[in-house]
Amino acid sequence: MSDQITYPDVVQWAIPFFIAAILAEFAWIAIKGRGGRYETRDAVTSLIMGAGNVASGILLGFVAWAFFMWLWALTPLDLGTSVWVVALCFVLDDLRYYWVHRFGHRIRWVWASHVNHHSSQHYNLTTALRQTWTYTFTFMMVVRAPLILLGFHPAMVLFCGGLNLIYQFWIHTEAIGRMPRWFEAVMNTPSHHRVHHGRNARYLDCNYAGVFIVWDKLFGTFVPEQEDEPVDYGLVHNIGTFNPLRVAFHEWVAIFRDVLRPGLTLRQRLGYAFGPPGYSHDGSRDTSGQIKARHLARHPELRGTAGFGQPDRPSARPAEEQTL
Amino acid sequence: MPLEVMLALVIGGIAGIALLLHLSGRSNQRVLTPEIAREEWRRHFPDDMIVDVTLAHDGHAALMRTETGPGLLWALGADTVARHLMDFDWLDHPKGLEIFFHDFGAPRVLVRLDETERRHWRHLMEPA
Ligand SMILES: [Zn+2]
Ligand SMILES: [Zn+2]
Repeated sequence: MSDQITYPDVVQWAIPFFIAAILAEFAWIAIKGRGGRYETRDAVTSLIMGAGNVASGILLGFVAWAFFMWLWALTPLDLGTSVWVVALCFVLDDLRYYWVHRFGHRIRWVWASHVNHHSSQHYNLTTALRQTWTYTFTFMMVVRAPLILLGFHPAMVLFCGGLNLIYQFWIHTEAIGRMPRWFEAVMNTPSHHRVHHGRNARYLDCNYAGVFIVWDKLFGTFVPEQEDEPVDYGLVHNIGTFNPLRVAFHEWVAIFRDVLRPGLTLRQRLGYAFGPPGYSHDGSRDTSGQIKARHLARHPELRGTAGFGQPDRPSARPAEEQTL
Repeated sequence: MPLEVMLALVIGGIAGIALLLHLSGRSNQRVLTPEIAREEWRRHFPDDMIVDVTLAHDGHAALMRTETGPGLLWALGADTVARHLMDFDWLDHPKGLEIFFHDFGAPRVLVRLDETERRHWRHLMEPA
């Protein structure tokens, strides 16, 4: 297969559709008086984050591209460009997305990039566009290496990744309740992804899927939306700014401040950079597992219900015992 | 897509949506009552025991006293943000008090207070 193979940059071409869909969702909410909330500065910040994401792709995309083309030169395999290969590539790239997204919530270095997608307390179609500017610095492009080494052309892999992101656009809405049963069983939906954006203890660290929710069911991270527990959107510690630069970089700044604190051991410094979000050397912060454990301490009746399956140990344990 | 077309779409799209939201009243700041302030604080810090609530007269901020110390709750657009008053500085401001958290994601809050309120808040914010 030639190295000159090109696919359309689908995310750029989707921009007019994104704008039209946002206007339609807003009109729906305004007319019906339900199905979501819009706020001017929140929406503008989300849209600027989306524009910045495209710009960062144009400016920094060459890093990942050079890495992929290097792998492509190494591999003896070439699966070609048939429709079935593209379909398989799409499914496997969605599996790749699941793991990158899961790392994005469990490793603070990757979370620093992904956190901004969760930094709005709103959940509407503009939230879908609140995307990272700093993905390149997470080095998560390495998770795509197996796909390219298996013989999927880098351009095809990026094309599938673009389609994946476009799919995820429409699920960022409260205007759609539930899809048909079979669809909810296989596909990521507004209902499943609302849960992913929740800061409720029950809803932390679940539903990492991009397109197919089956990955969460397979790997034990699926939590269904509960009728009796509305999703509280945003971060455990919500940010107090609409400034896009602060939204893009706040967690990176926080990491560097923590890592450079005087008097820490190397292990503790590594914990602040690569441990789970909420790691602290002195037990002064809570990880998601500790937040769930605290919630269960207040509501013991919830033990064993969705999202509270395997609670981590409570945070009252001595600091020395904290592991990465 | 040609870069000029994309830029025009992006800038026009953002400006248009911003205008539409603003003109349809979506720029209003959250207004707190003591009950809402308590509810919101518990949402942000479910472990805290609230002692009392002091609202700013415009309803856009509240000084919360909890059993573990004072905290500030303030309106951020239609929502609220909360921080404990632990690692912070404040300055007098012609319109009230300016509070600085050493937090890149929540750097500064301007709480609008009249003269009487300002004195009271300064007293409440002092560490015990
Ligand atoms: Zn996420
Ligand atoms: Zn999302």
